[in-house]
Amino acid sequence: MDRETLRRLEMLNQLSLTEAQKDSVIAFFADREKDLEALDAIDTSSTERMVHVMPIMTVVREDKVVQAFSREDLQKGAPETDEGYWCVPKVME
Amino acid sequence: MNAYTVKNTVSSDKVIVADDMLLTKELPTAAGSKMLDGYVSLFEAEALTRATAAGYTLGGKADVGEFSIDLLGETSKNGALIVDGVLKNAAAEIVKSGDAVAALTLDVNGSVRRAAAQNGLVSIKPTYGTVSRFGTIPVVCSGETVSILAKGVDACRDLLDAVAGHDDKDGTSHSDAVCDAMKKDATHAKLRRVAVIASMEKGVDGDVKEKLALATAALKENGAEVVTVDGNTVSLARAAWNVLMCAELCNNVSRYDGVKYGYRAENFSGIDELYTNSRTEAFGDLLKTAILFGSETLSTENYMKVYDKCQRIRRVIAEEFAKLFAEFDAVMMPACSALAYKEEAVSENRHLAFEENFYTAPASITGLPAVVAGGVQLVGKAFSEQTLLDAARILTKEER
Repeated sequence: MDRETLRRLEMLNQLSLTEAQKDSVIAFFADREKDLEALDAIDTSSTERMVHVMPIMTVVREDKVVQAFSREDLQKGAPETDEGYWCVPKVME
Repeated sequence: MNAYTVKNTVSSDKVIVADDMLLTKELPTAAGSKMLDGYVSLFEAEALTRATAAGYTLGGKADVGEFSIDLLGETSKNGALIVDGVLKNAAAEIVKSGDAVAALTLDVNGSVRRAAAQNGLVSIKPTYGTVSRFGTIPVVCSGETVSILAKGVDACRDLLDAVAGHDDKDGTSHSDAVCDAMKKDATHAKLRRVAVIASMEKGVDGDVKEKLALATAALKENGAEVVTVDGNTVSLARAAWNVLMCAELCNNVSRYDGVKYGYRAENFSGIDELYTNSRTEAFGDLLKTAILFGSETLSTENYMKVYDKCQRIRRVIAEEFAKLFAEFDAVMMPACSALAYKEEAVSENRHLAFEENFYTAPASITGLPAVVAGGVQLVGKAFSEQTLLDAARILTKEER
């Protein structure tokens, strides 16, 4: 991990790190890369990915409303609202 | 930090505490993060609803580290809980004090199991899919499990009985028939053979070694055969779990952007700055580190080499456990490297949680049930909770 790649990751994830935080993150990446070296010794070319830990298939539910909230309730936790809308800065110039 | 984020005045002999990863309708849920400071959900966790229906009363909420990925709760927005220079876990402190008969927690990265081992408590992380995750703050959806922490085996067993069962609202929930077969009245096998994986004892201190020796002796006294095995891949779980955990976490916390709910920065000049400043100001260092690592593992360059590889390693580990369970009823391993984390050790190594999860990652990555009792961890085959809890009684030397 280098600082340029880290800058790209910060932008992608909408984060901005201090220089000290960048050093700490780079050290973390180095530790994890060492961990991952041990995995290279395991041949997984004929092993299937394990996405679900249990044999549970995601089921399709009946298309009916089982729980609904009012707009007023949903906006109780909003940082800023106006007449039922969420407020954000202008996104078009 | 206080152990409680909110404390209710209640009078009941069935008081429980929920950790702050479980949503509550009337009380705030912050997941230990400034991002969700003051957030109140419109609905509550299904596990809490079921506990209440079974006669339990919520006595309050226990603080957690930010999104519960840390050691014991030290990254909470409220600060670490330190007693006599030792790091403590909020839910464990509340249960130990007798305020609650048990705690309902979300085991994301093993903190509840470490807390149980370090405090002489009993915990059960049930088989993935047996307790609904509906209404929990999502972090690592493919592996995290609602878990129980209590002083004794019966309290764990009773609360597990109350909260386990199928839930239509959780797409990963097992059927009622499967869940019922795991409950306390179900017939279950006695623990006869226990494997100890030599490589999983790497890095433990003398106190933990002593707990393992005591557990081995107790199991043998009760007729179980304890066999040390080696040469397996279970010890690789940490490396793969850290990748999968951070990748899922990165996606799950992308919803926190300061728009619809949660923290919003005061100063910003446009929408991008609103997102960036809100997330930068609200998220703590460990969470930011995990987000960035997870994002990198999902990048075009690394997806196949790292993320996909770890999904395959997950199967390798599950198959290793399956082989072990063909011969053994459970696998014993430590839950942590030490029975106490000194304050200075934690502040010197802020990424310690990603090393200490060496001991908890095997059960997390495979979704297998794990009991902690007598300071050690027993991982069992899927749905063997009752066998593990019987063994926990032996390890804690509780009378039946």
